[in-house]
Order: sequence, then structure tokens, then C-alpha cells
Amino acid sequence: MTQRPLELILARNLMSALSTPAFLVDEGGVLVFYNEAAGMMLGKRFEELGTVGADEWGQLFGPFDESGEPIPYDDLPLVAAVREGRPAHAEFEIHSTDGASHEVEVSAFPILTAHGSQGAIAVFWPTRMNGDGAGPA
Amino acid sequence: MKVKLWGTRGSIPSPGPETIRYGGNTSCVGVTLSDGSLLALDAGTGIRCLGLALGEEPTRLHILLTHLHLDHIQGLVFFAPAFRPQTEIVIWGPASPEASLRDRIARYISAPLSPVEVRELPCDVSFRHCPQAEWEIGSARIRAASVAHRGPTLGYRIDDGDSSLAYIPDHEPALGADLDLLDEDWISGFELARDASLLIHDGQYADAEYPRHVGWGHSALSHSLAFARRTGAERTVLFHHDPMHSDEFLDRLGGEASRRWQELGGEPGAVGLAEERAEFELPARAREAVAPA
Repeated sequence: MTQRPLELILARNLMSALSTPAFLVDEGGVLVFYNEAAGMMLGKRFEELGTVGADEWGQLFGPFDESGEPIPYDDLPLVAAVREGRPAHAEFEIHSTDGASHEVEVSAFPILTAHGSQGAIAVFWPTRMNGDGAGPA
Repeated sequence: MKVKLWGTRGSIPSPGPETIRYGGNTSCVGVTLSDGSLLALDAGTGIRCLGLALGEEPTRLHILLTHLHLDHIQGLVFFAPAFRPQTEIVIWGPASPEASLRDRIARYISAPLSPVEVRELPCDVSFRHCPQAEWEIGSARIRAASVAHRGPTLGYRIDDGDSSLAYIPDHEPALGADLDLLDEDWISGFELARDASLLIHDGQYADAEYPRHVGWGHSALSHSLAFARRTGAERTVLFHHDPMHSDEFLDRLGGEASRRWQELGGEPGAVGLAEERAEFELPARAREAVAPA
């Protein structure tokens, strides 16, 4: 296994201590971690899911726009943060494994280091839950 | 590869009768590679004695700095070979977006903190940022990687033949993390220390002291032992002793470290505390025979 960059390790450690849903992707855009709060919102802990690529993520959780259409991977704030090295913000809907859907605001920012972009962090702000899912505490 | 500990203390020099055995000089480790090349890992006050031991002969030396906290550079202006024109010194250290390595070190080697300026040093001195990729010095391959501490900080791995030395003197890998649960690729410094012949690692705090020092950039004993166990280092030396720790305290801490290491299933004698002037010889290990397909 290749050693993760220190900046990603520290970001993961910080996110682990937060009660705000937060997601971490590496420099290739692969989801490498999300915290317990995010796991509660999705209905699946990261330890159960593991590292996933964009395709699998999209099939499991979305995201979807206001008309229910899947949002292209390239339009996601995390992708903009990783590829363009800039912060990005969006509103969309995701589905959790228990059938609930969550309207969220998402802010993503890149992890830029002396050696270039190492990935990005996205923080989800749930604004509304629809359905019968347990949802966030 | 020969390794000698010239300074084992962290934070600030702490000379006196109560620290005479483990030593009061701050971080410096001398390394003689198998081809005779000389390295100094950090330049705390221990490097003064290393300089005296080198004598008057012309010297070429590489100094590998983990970071620029004072306890890792304070000895530079008292390093006798730096004041001889026949000496060549290459100083390696972490890059920073703020200023070059030379300019950051010059903040210390300049008025009013120092009587001499970098440009006045008689030796041939140069400054290099550590590359991301492995590089060679003499017979060794050197690797540097960022590790969890306060500010830009590196750990080093030195491979010479089949022997390897990992040097991570200032390290808090368990900050916000459980080292027993993380996958190895998510542990700060893991690749530097993996299966090292000798790991010199931060051991600043007893477990009871750590809660008052969370985020200060150093390890508690439990963290150091967990890191050593996870990385599979053959031998571990706990380093960067807290200046408040007397020889008597460190004797007790060393005893506890040894006992707990064996409770974890480790070999007796494979973990110990760093003592100033201690020497280690890392022989080339025989490679395991590869079975035919």
C-alpha cells in the first residue's frame, strides 16, 4: 500500500473528530474517507463501504438535482476542487441506503501543498430530509 | 552503517547531575555509512561534540534537518568544522512556501541571535530542499517524508546495503487517531519506518503526561510502542526526552517500555531509551533466499 500524503492523514484525523458530515477524496478524485456524521446521513459507515470510485458512489447515493436527475461527476464541487484547485459550492440531493433523501448544501475546498494538489474535502450541510429514513441525528 | 547518539534531549538543553546518563544535549545523531560518508541527523546542541570528535581533518558532511525548531538547529553555530575552510557541508531540510531553507536558517545564524552570519562561515556550505523522491548520498539511499508534528517537519529513512535506519524524532502520529485501528497507509511516517533495522522515534511523554500535551507534536509511550509494533521495526530507540525527565524518571519509563513491549509480544531488548553517546552498528543483513518457481 502506498503511504497517504500527510495532509490527507491530518485531514482525516480532523474529520474524524467533527460532527458535521465530511468527505475526503484523493488527488485522483477517489473517495478515501468520510466521517461518522456522514455515515449516519448515508446510512452506511465508511468502514462498511470502503474506498469507492465515482461510478460506484453515484449508483449508491447520487447526487441528484432538484428534478431528480443524476448530476454528472464532473459537475460536483469535490471534483472542481480537486481538478481546478479552487473552492466550490453546490446544492443537491443524495439518497441514503434506508430510502431517505437529503437535501444538502456542499462546500468543497482543495488540499493544496508544496507538492501540488493532494485531494479535497467536502463538508455537507443537510438542509432538509425527505422520506422515512433515520437521517442525521 | 554506524550510528551514534550525540544528543537525545528534546525542547531545550538540560545539563546537570540529574540528566547525566541519558544526556542533556538536544537532537543530533551521527551516521557513518558503509563507504565512510558522514551524516548528521539534526543539529541540536549534540552536534557540537560530534564536531569535536571529527578532529581537524578535511571533512565532507551532510546534515539532514527534520525541521527548524531551535532544539534541532541550535548547535550549528557551535559546530567546529563549519569554521574551517577545508570543510564542505550540505544542509538538507524541509521546503517551505514562505522562504528558502538558507533564509530560514539565517534567521538564527544572524544578529542579534548569533555573532556570525551564514555568509561569514568559512566552510563551503550549501542548502538543499529535500526532494520528494529518494536520492543518494554516498552508499545510502535517503528518503524524506512529511510527518505529523507542528510546522513543516520531515522524517528520514536511510538504507545502506540491507540495513535501514528510520529517524523520526518529533512525531505525533496518534493525534486524533488510533494507531491500532488505522490501515497502515493512513499512519504518519509508516513507510519510513517499515521493517527498519533501527527506528529512532519520539518518546517524549509518559502516558500520564500526554493529555496535557495533546497537539504539541510528540508521542506518549503507548503511541511510540504502537507505532514500532505496527511498522515492524527490528529495534526501537525512544528519543527526544522531555527536559523535565531525570535519569531516575527515564529509568522507570524505560522499564515500563520494555515490560509493555514484551506484553505486546515483542522481543526482549528490542525497545529501549536513547542514551547520549550510545552507539549502534547495523550490519548488512543476509537476504532471504528466493525459492525457485
